[in-house]
Amino acid sequence: MGELQAVPWALIAPLLFIQLILMVVALIDLSRIHATNGPKWLWVIIIIFGNLLGSIVYFIIGRKQS
Amino acid sequence: MTLITVSDLTKTFGNQTVVDNISFSIEPNTSTALIGPNGAGKTTTLSMLTGLLSQTSGSIKMEGVKDMRSVIGFLPQYPKFFSWLSALEYTEMVAKLSGIEVKQAKLQSQKILEYVGLGAALHKKTGTFSGGMKQRLGIAQALVHKPKLLLLDEPVSALDPVGRREIMNLLKEIQNETTILYSTHILNDAEEMTDQLLFLRGGKLVEKGSLKEVRARFEEPRFKIKFSSSQQALQFASQSELHCHVEGEKVFVEIVHEQPTMQQMLNRLANSQFSIESIEKVTASLEEIFMKVVGSYESV
Amino acid sequence: MSQFKVLVGKELRESWRSFKLLWLPLVFILLGVSDPILNYYMMDILKAVGGIPEGFQMVMPEFSAADIIAASTGQFQSIGLIVLIATFVGTISRERQNGTATLLYVRPISHSALFLSKWFVATLVAMISVIAGYAASLYYTVILYGPVEWNRFIAMLATYLLWICLVMALTVAMSASFKTVVAATLTIFLVIGGTIFESLVGSFISVSPWKLPSSSLALLSDFYDGTDFIINLCLSFGLLIIFILIGIMMCKSNASTTKI
Repeated sequence: MGELQAVPWALIAPLLFIQLILMVVALIDLSRIHATNGPKWLWVIIIIFGNLLGSIVYFIIGRKQS
Repeated sequence: MTLITVSDLTKTFGNQTVVDNISFSIEPNTSTALIGPNGAGKTTTLSMLTGLLSQTSGSIKMEGVKDMRSVIGFLPQYPKFFSWLSALEYTEMVAKLSGIEVKQAKLQSQKILEYVGLGAALHKKTGTFSGGMKQRLGIAQALVHKPKLLLLDEPVSALDPVGRREIMNLLKEIQNETTILYSTHILNDAEEMTDQLLFLRGGKLVEKGSLKEVRARFEEPRFKIKFSSSQQALQFASQSELHCHVEGEKVFVEIVHEQPTMQQMLNRLANSQFSIESIEKVTASLEEIFMKVVGSYESV
Repeated sequence: MSQFKVLVGKELRESWRSFKLLWLPLVFILLGVSDPILNYYMMDILKAVGGIPEGFQMVMPEFSAADIIAASTGQFQSIGLIVLIATFVGTISRERQNGTATLLYVRPISHSALFLSKWFVATLVAMISVIAGYAASLYYTVILYGPVEWNRFIAMLATYLLWICLVMALTVAMSASFKTVVAATLTIFLVIGGTIFESLVGSFISVSPWKLPSSSLALLSDFYDGTDFIINLCLSFGLLIIFILIGIMMCKSNASTTKI
């Protein structure tokens, strides 16, 4: 497992961190929005397990806009 | 002085004529009801008045007004708002779009929202509003720029009985201050607040006039006489030279040119051997008039 | 002018409250940092993840700073543009389809103010996102690959932002002209399809609006040919004005398609 420590986490961390923020923003928006296209629980799963793409897809087609 | 004059207004979509050559005018500070079944062309007529649709032919004129959109307030049947704006933000925005200056827009928005009963919901997002609240906000946005003419498309038909009552009362109040043209297919509403009735059928204006005038034309006054038995009723009808119509033990006697009078009718019955339970003078309800004027469309 | 201000205010509120002003820059930052970091540590990461046999030697190409900026631009040009287009292509058409536009159109509204406010805010949000993405990319590139000349980078960024302006003008004009689905299909076909076409046979064509991103990158390198660049720049400005005029026209002529 020594090689895992060789990975420069200090530099990779921002990538993961931004992705996390994006996910949190998507989840906050989901909890506040009154209607989504499709069931909300499905979007929770897509956002959490869909990584970057999950959050993007939620913002583009998940939000019901009016 | 006439506020708005509509002449020979026609709208066709493809080869379908939705509004067919209608003409009417509206006096200031009156209420006009546009009555007709679904699909009669009410919404299309209102859309042309708002300028959303352009007419195929005919004209809409308002004395001394260039852009009619600035003096009209419109409430569609299902008003849609931006769910992410609050009631106050929304009303302020549309007031400014109608040319009201910033300070005034805020002031007038607050005032009108309180007036329609949304004072407690000024800062709530419209996305959270119930049907009744949306209708109130719809009325507020239509009134905020103090329009000369208020156009309402089926203002209460989407509401439950309580909401309907509340909005009707609100409209009756507004009626005193501005000119209203509204469409409806609910006769009771029209009966409550109207100076002029316009009956639409299949895009044509089939009848117009004040409630009194239309009534006089269509009410068909009759005497309703109830006899003790149906034999008696039939006997009376066969002996009489009057226009009679028998329904069980009831006889309807048509009144033509105010003849016969109640006095004559009572005299005639008093001097006969018929036994009578009741007699009254009846007229057609607006509902019946509506069916007569508009309903025949279905059978055509 | 005052209508334009009111409408811009409305659009900005929408962008803020729907988190567009937050998530779009985040997506671009993510796209921007992924290339410098992943390329630099590719070997380490592959080793750590495993799967490289003992004694296996892989020759990693030596990247220059300009190469990495170009790689980030490649990300913006594919995923980035699709996300931007998909986000803004409904900006006018959706309001007509869901009926929220009706209560605006019955007012004495200027269709130029309406279209320009939509385009202005879409472009603003897109530019903020792209600038954030490049800033993030540049930060890591400078740390890991060495310096980039400032004036060249600014020239490149300005040229690329003109391209973004153009793409957003096309997107919003399409939104004014068609229903959302049709507008999205057409815009993505034109922008992404054109970009792919340009990358395949671009070397045979010297003048086309799709050249803008590649010529912006050329500004970073030492050898670039400035003759066609000016022509492409003028062409893009011309197209920008044409898209805006078409958009305003379509806004006006399609106003009656709003749901009542």
